[in-house]
Amino acid sequence: MEITVRDEGDTKVVMLNGKLDTNTTPAAEGEINALLDAGASKLLINFEQLSYISSSGLRLLLALAKRMKGFGGDLKVCALNEMATEVFEVSGFGSILNVFASEADALAAS
Amino acid sequence: MATDERKSTLLAVDDTPENLDVVKGILGDDYQVKVAINGHIALKIAQSQAPDLILLDIMMPEIDGYEVCRQLKADPQTRDIPVIFLTAKGETSDEAEGFDLGAADYILKPINPPLLQARVKTQLALKHNMDELQAAYAVINRQKERMQQELNVGRDIQLSMVPDTFPAFPDRDEFDIHGLLKPAREIGGDFYDYFFVERNKLCICVGDVSGKGVPAALFMAVAKTMIKSTSADDHSPASIITRVNDEISQDNPSCMFITLFLGILDTETGELQYTNGGHPYPYLKHADGSVSTLEHLHGPVVGAMDGMAYGEDTVKLAKGDQLLIFTDGITEAMDLSDQLYGEQRVIDLFESEAKGSPESLVASSLASVESFAGEAEQADDITILAIEYLVEPKTAEGELLNVTISNQLAEIDRVNDLFNDFAERCDIPMPVSLKVNMVFDELLANVISYAYSDEEAHNIDISISFDNGQLAINITDDGVPFNPFTREDPDTSLSLEDRDIGGLGIHLVKNAMDETLYQRRNNKNTVTLIKNLNT
Repeated sequence: MEITVRDEGDTKVVMLNGKLDTNTTPAAEGEINALLDAGASKLLINFEQLSYISSSGLRLLLALAKRMKGFGGDLKVCALNEMATEVFEVSGFGSILNVFASEADALAAS
Repeated sequence: MATDERKSTLLAVDDTPENLDVVKGILGDDYQVKVAINGHIALKIAQSQAPDLILLDIMMPEIDGYEVCRQLKADPQTRDIPVIFLTAKGETSDEAEGFDLGAADYILKPINPPLLQARVKTQLALKHNMDELQAAYAVINRQKERMQQELNVGRDIQLSMVPDTFPAFPDRDEFDIHGLLKPAREIGGDFYDYFFVERNKLCICVGDVSGKGVPAALFMAVAKTMIKSTSADDHSPASIITRVNDEISQDNPSCMFITLFLGILDTETGELQYTNGGHPYPYLKHADGSVSTLEHLHGPVVGAMDGMAYGEDTVKLAKGDQLLIFTDGITEAMDLSDQLYGEQRVIDLFESEAKGSPESLVASSLASVESFAGEAEQADDITILAIEYLVEPKTAEGELLNVTISNQLAEIDRVNDLFNDFAERCDIPMPVSLKVNMVFDELLANVISYAYSDEEAHNIDISISFDNGQLAINITDDGVPFNPFTREDPDTSLSLEDRDIGGLGIHLVKNAMDETLYQRRNNKNTVTLIKNLNT
């Protein structure tokens, strides 16, 4: 798992490259929480380079969404592949997270 | 029927009242004497009052004594009443005619009183004995009927419990199977059965319950049902028999037991796992005509003692191999000079027979035993089950992947890397293999994190096969018994605040795969996952 972060306006775009599972989630969780600790309030998690996500990844997203809702932050997710789309559907995460087809769509939505 | 308390009733028939008075005078003290002065009245009284004996004059107007006798003998109600002719006629031909009509005796007038008394007494005694015999005979007949019914019940139970529709699996071309059960006159409790426990796993069993009659048939029915229900969630012959043995032994006051051979044939690989609990050895005929014996016993007869751990062996069937399983009704069949058919004759026949279908093998085996036994009665049930493996077993290079990992989370990556190579070889589409990656992550993480109560290193075996569009995965661990699929699905409609992550992983697994199955066998957990790609 490789994580890159760049700024698009006031949004931190987090590119996940690899997989988000039992072994990789703890590191990803650390990095993303560090962004929030540093004051970020708008996050866009880009799944474009993500191969698969398991329930550990979902656990991270849920914790993140709860934390950000607590301080009025804005969490978006975009560019889910077929596998991730299905996992979001089956888990009901599609309706509790803001999901966008592409990064452009996500950034365009305010 | 006459009894000691009641005076026997006689009917005296004569058209001369004085003669009737004479008879009454002689017999009136000892018997109740009714009289009739012609044949019509005699027949009416005989029918309505059923006297114990009739004294009949021959020469009477209208209907003579012969005719009265003929009519009495023609009526089932009166035909058993003994008739003594009393007549003045003394011709020998008359006597003969009377006896021909079924008369019991013949007394000439003038009547000699002691003679009449003696003859009447004799006839009544005979009648009394006859009545008793008939009553006894009726009782015996009723008993016999009841016993026959009981035997039939046992036989019906037994025969209704064995599958007898052939071909048994018309849509399966990997094997052919044929079975036969020929009950002995007194049922012995044999049975056989075969059924699929998985798409490619055929369970086969042949058993023989000790004892005979309805109890044996009932015991057989219980055992057979138990085998079937146990094998539904347990595909190890050793484990099935171990469990069935415990179950049966614990509540078995009649101390009955079963010799049992149970095998599970993998119809894809030709592998037959089997356990033999005190049963005659089956024989295996190879395509080259040689016959070998499955000479492994894995424990005693089933039901005798609980707590026994049965083992199992595996034999790999090649294309054209035939397996012959039978009960001791074959080997212990006897001819008239009490010689046993024996194992060697089974082997000789199996070896010498030109190769035919399982059906013809069963038929020729039975024919051989029957011609050996000749006129000797079949003493025990005869059961024969024959199976032929008809296809080249899957060597499955490139379609099978076996991985053993240790209980370290980092090993999950190794499994997924190996699986991804495998998936690429098999042209499994990317979205499917990604889902399988997720599934391995969920299940292996669960096992590694929660299955072990110690700090020791453990192995987890993973086998993956891809055939005919079906991906099948088995994950086996020796951790604490745990069925992950019993966990309730999470409520995925809850809002962000109320969502809890518990149970989500298994929920994802169940949705990603078409079938999920958990089994506990040989002290191990096995999770089986099926994904069909063709649908």
